[in-house]
Amino acid sequence: MRRALAVVCCALAGCGVETPPPPGGDPERGRLLLRQFGCGTCHRIPGVAAARGVVGPPLDGVARRVYLAGTLPNTPDNMARWIRDPQGVDPRTAMPDMQVGEAHARDMVAYLVTLR
Amino acid sequence: MIRLIAALVGTAAAVGAAGVVLYAGWYDISATEPHLAPTYWALDTGMRRSVQRRAAAIVAPPLEDGRLVARGLVYFQQHCVQCHGAPGVAPEPFALGLMPAPASLAHTAREWQPAELFWVIKYGIKMTGMPAWGFRLSDDDSWAVVAFLRILPTLSPRDYRALQVPALEREEESVLEKPDPRRGETAIHQYACATCHRIPGVVGANAPVGPPLDGFATRTMLAGRLPNDRDTLVRWLRDPQALKPGSAMPDLGVTERDARDIAAYLLRP
Repeated sequence: MRRALAVVCCALAGCGVETPPPPGGDPERGRLLLRQFGCGTCHRIPGVAAARGVVGPPLDGVARRVYLAGTLPNTPDNMARWIRDPQGVDPRTAMPDMQVGEAHARDMVAYLVTLR
Repeated sequence: MIRLIAALVGTAAAVGAAGVVLYAGWYDISATEPHLAPTYWALDTGMRRSVQRRAAAIVAPPLEDGRLVARGLVYFQQHCVQCHGAPGVAPEPFALGLMPAPASLAHTAREWQPAELFWVIKYGIKMTGMPAWGFRLSDDDSWAVVAFLRILPTLSPRDYRALQVPALEREEESVLEKPDPRRGETAIHQYACATCHRIPGVVGANAPVGPPLDGFATRTMLAGRLPNDRDTLVRWLRDPQALKPGSAMPDLGVTERDARDIAAYLLRP
């Protein structure tokens, strides 16, 4: 209900394009999963405990990022695909396949798209 | 004393009013709406005075040599005529929509000193569409353009059409200079890095197309697959498509020296 209100207020205020989280994703669970899967070892992620890695790019503002992995247009579907199968996107990437399941990836994306 | 206070209050009110006009969106930023006459006068005078002041200490080399003029013609046709036109030659359509419209250089060359023309070519002019060529042309090449501009007003359209454009051999650049992070910061602007990356310390660099570069010196990986060391970074800056085919990062034609300076800036502690 609160989100619906926020969306309405946003629309009334005319504050631009919002990327909606993909259906089914739970941002709060995603935040915890990002910690459980050790994403913060390589990435700096606001709101995720101890996520101060400097191997890959920082993820603050990742919702506004235009490309993922330097090649993929940043859509929720592409973000989930990149998280689940990085080598399928870029065979030489340093990002490891962490065996993230479909539902978990959706939750992670739901959190990451709030980082504007 | 009362006059001083009145002047201060008046100035503050004017600055505040200008701020309100800008913030409210009342200022018409479109390129179809010309400047008001006082605005145009202020900008044009400020631009001329700024160029005169900065070019005052520059001493022009001899510009009469025919080979220098011929070389200048090559660069003029490669880089100038598209916006400025030439005797009997119109600018390209995109240039006709610019505000201010690019000047006719046959006129400019009569009015401006060679050192001023050189300065404008090398450093460009903010908010006019005139780019800086200092990272694209050597000083010698910019003087060659000035040498050609000096004879431009003497050419009829028929003379201009009849000019033979010589073929130029590109000189190899030599890399001997020590990497210079301050020059690298300027190069970051000149290669438009800020249109895609957030770079702390670089004003206006906050675009989220590629990854942000804050804390870059401590980043261990580059482009998701390369070690982030100085030499690899220089190779990446010069030819990203070779190191990662399909990357959205384009080949910007960065020279070896410029890439080394940019790397020195990004990797500074």
